[in-house]
Amino acid sequence: MSLTDLMSMAKPNSEMRERTLAKIGKREFADCFQCAKCTSGCTAFKLLELKPHEVMRLVNLGFTGELISSEISWTCVTCLKCMERCPQQASPYYVIMALRNLTIEQGGKVPEAYLNAVSQILETGFMQAVQKVTAKNMETLDRQKLGLPNIKNSAKTFKATFLKALEEREV
Amino acid sequence: MKVTVFWGCKILTSQYAYEMSVRRVLPELGVELVDLREMHCCGDVVKSVNAFAAKYMAARVLALAGETGIKELLVPCSRCHFTLSETQHLLRSDTNLREKVFALLKDEKLEYPSDVRIWHIIDLLYDAMGLSRIKEKVKKSLKGLKFSAHVGCQIIRPSIIGRVDNPENPRKLNELIRALGAESPDYPEKLDCCGSALTFSHQEAAFTLAGSKLKAIQEMGVDGLIDSCPSCHEMFDAKQEEASKIIGKKLSLPVLYYTQLLGLALGMKMEDLGLHLNQSPVEKLIEKSGVHS
Repeated sequence: MSLTDLMSMAKPNSEMRERTLAKIGKREFADCFQCAKCTSGCTAFKLLELKPHEVMRLVNLGFTGELISSEISWTCVTCLKCMERCPQQASPYYVIMALRNLTIEQGGKVPEAYLNAVSQILETGFMQAVQKVTAKNMETLDRQKLGLPNIKNSAKTFKATFLKALEEREV
Repeated sequence: MKVTVFWGCKILTSQYAYEMSVRRVLPELGVELVDLREMHCCGDVVKSVNAFAAKYMAARVLALAGETGIKELLVPCSRCHFTLSETQHLLRSDTNLREKVFALLKDEKLEYPSDVRIWHIIDLLYDAMGLSRIKEKVKKSLKGLKFSAHVGCQIIRPSIIGRVDNPENPRKLNELIRALGAESPDYPEKLDCCGSALTFSHQEAAFTLAGSKLKAIQEMGVDGLIDSCPSCHEMFDAKQEEASKIIGKKLSLPVLYYTQLLGLALGMKMEDLGLHLNQSPVEKLIEKSGVHS
């Protein structure tokens, strides 16, 4: 649903404001004074209508639920330009990442590829399976045929601690 | 110079040409590469799911690097480079985070090192090796060729945590290309993103970004595009055909890793640099360069 439609029925939620604040820790997003420098240089603004300055304002007013429903956080390309250019060091990037984490915690809609990547990490340590590649002469090649050393897999204890880390919420 | 290498998922599981060319060219310039005893994801993709777990993974990588006793860590992937640098930066000042992360590391008898220096290919070559050493080693000058540089996003931003080059006007990759005898003109789309991260959620937008940049570069009439990140390279090289379809414009632009281009100038064989794995039309560029004639 579009964020504009969602906002027409919206009510601010101060508890969600606090939770989002807790997630981004000491980063001072409340200092945002809406200069919109982030939005004017945002890669996802042109294509997917992400307006980071609007996200900042809405989070600050407690409209986190509407932002989660709009699925807008998944349009960020993570180019980090907003983070670099913000005159207040407010970093919309971190706020957008916090919204993604909150979406997961609240059981909201998450692009499947992210969840698949995490499952893959739990299984193999890597976000994707080891692939065979096709050379220009149509020969199928793998690491061994290319003369690359074997992958040294992570220790068994890694999976257990990674799972433990995934249980951790507020940071 | 001795460095440990953290390769990351993309390079180890699919972008083999980057690994092959790095393993070839760096020893030639006097850099000894040491692999970590374990390899896993840096945490980048996990940030979207659970930011804390991502930081734990990055800290674990740094702990593995610290174990080797080598203080220099090379991270050729831009996304891994950002994830590790960011975590290192945060762990310096955030005591609460440090406590939680260190406790998890302790479960595995790992210790976090405070003094690992993180390098990318670009600053390792430009700042640690230096242009003059590279120029001395060039056997086959690439004079007469022109390349656009794609620096990528995550190695130059955010400058507050210490990055590889200037965030708004990066020059090092251009200088590295020029050191091989080729030209490297600037262009308006230089800072545009490859779109890779959007392949997780908005495929069409992702390929529109990659395709638009490729189209702009192709129209400049250069001989190719040079990059240094496995995610960007995958978009511009392996996915060039897909991007071409999305933007409705025929794309035929050779795309190479900088380490592949460097290897050519150092007189190395195409197969040793993984150039037979590039999906973009690199042959026309190699033919024109005359490096293998």
